[in-house]
Amino acid sequence: MDKAKRIYETTCIVNASLDDSQVEAVIGRVVDTITKNGGTITSLNKWGRKRLSYSINKKTNGFYVNIEFEAPATLIALLERSYQLDEMILRYLTIMLDAKALAARAAIAAAAPAASEEPAPPPPAREPLFKETGSEEKN
Amino acid sequence: MHPTRRTRREKESQMPRKKRTCRFCDAKEIYIDYKDEKRLQRFVTEQGKIIPKRITGTCAKHQRQLVHAIKRARHLALLPFVSDAIR
Repeated sequence: MDKAKRIYETTCIVNASLDDSQVEAVIGRVVDTITKNGGTITSLNKWGRKRLSYSINKKTNGFYVNIEFEAPATLIALLERSYQLDEMILRYLTIMLDAKALAARAAIAAAAPAASEEPAPPPPAREPLFKETGSEEKN
Repeated sequence: MHPTRRTRREKESQMPRKKRTCRFCDAKEIYIDYKDEKRLQRFVTEQGKIIPKRITGTCAKHQRQLVHAIKRARHLALLPFVSDAIR
């Protein structure tokens, strides 16, 4: 199980007071960490500079980057370690995309194939991690 | 109290209760994304508190997912933990 690759999504906030080229360098470092440790990037979205809802390290703006990738579980510890060491990264969040999230993503991609600018990653044919229990619950 | 005047509770019991339905169930939503801050904002008060499901009518299953998404969004400063700028 630990050898199996999983689909993850990571979002990080880069210090927005840097120049665009410096921001690119930070993103490049993150991408490097993923690809050099056995991960493959499926999509990279730059949301750009956004105002933070609250100040982080006395900064009120941040450059948001969202990366989706497929990787073995061992990569995550390395990635988060590198995030912590990088002083230009204010905040990060890495989550595993579960069966529900992937199903929702596939549904969105199917509904609007033209709207998505980046090629949507094909949902992998694998056993769902848990059975859908939606039919049992009455809402 | 005036004898003919009905109490609020009596009035409410006679009025047809509007059935609130879960918005996520209506939309057949399977996953609530933390990145969709505009949508999450509707389930948060002006102060930044999560609105209970008894007010919004969200079902238990989706409320759990929603809370999870809101907390993730807060971590990434997409939503505030507290916001009381104007007082």
